[in-house]
Amino acid sequence: MSDSKKIGDKELAAISASVIIFGGVMFHWVAEMISTVELLEMAYGTAKLFNNPLVF
Amino acid sequence: MFNTILSQYKATLSVFIVLLVIVVLELLQVRAAIYPSLLPAFQWLKNSTPLGYIGTTYGSIYATVQAMHLLTMGTLGGLVLATDLRLLGVMFRTTPSEVISNGTHKAFKVTLIAAVLTGIFCAAGVADKVYYMPVFWVKMLALAAGAAFVFLIKQPLLSSKPHSEINPWIIRGMAITSILVWFTVAASGRWIGFS
Repeated sequence: MSDSKKIGDKELAAISASVIIFGGVMFHWVAEMISTVELLEMAYGTAKLFNNPLVF
Repeated sequence: MFNTILSQYKATLSVFIVLLVIVVLELLQVRAAIYPSLLPAFQWLKNSTPLGYIGTTYGSIYATVQAMHLLTMGTLGGLVLATDLRLLGVMFRTTPSEVISNGTHKAFKVTLIAAVLTGIFCAAGVADKVYYMPVFWVKMLALAAGAAFVFLIKQPLLSSKPHSEINPWIIRGMAITSILVWFTVAASGRWIGFS
């Protein structure tokens, strides 16, 4: 890496903030997905997204 | 030595101090303690302010402001996508990314103010309803995180030097995070409408 592309304070802050925010948002969406699958399982016994007899 | 690190890495230390404060506040359950005391403020917003009165009485005005809110959110999404997809090298490749990021940032500031103002009006009409919606708080949290990320982290770095001098993986990481957090704002907003 050239001297001009050395990681300075702003770059380090950008990496840290990006990782923290990305992790937080992904955690939220994965948790939402899990709860949706759990709801589907409660409704249909198993999460049959395709070939579901209740959906024509 | 400690002073040197402190002066050289102010921004990075600030990020970790903010994270530490959030973690400590969560462990001490401060958010849960504050939450019930916010209900009177939401009830006041709906029942005792002109915003709440207009929002609950005049459907045509509410619908007009709601439409303006959706338009500002759409514009915000367009500006974010134009900037971040250019930073990822997906589109507008013939235009320098500095030109696009600086140009869209000016419009972003105005649009964000308009979105927040129209959003306050929209929330005032249904304040006692949105208070109980977890997805409303998710949207507010994502909005705060997205705005702080843009104004305190992303734009200061992008405007500090030519983008060719910044590690491309840092630029890509910021762009992906930005798209994801503003997608969350938009999706949570639509989820409020669905609820």
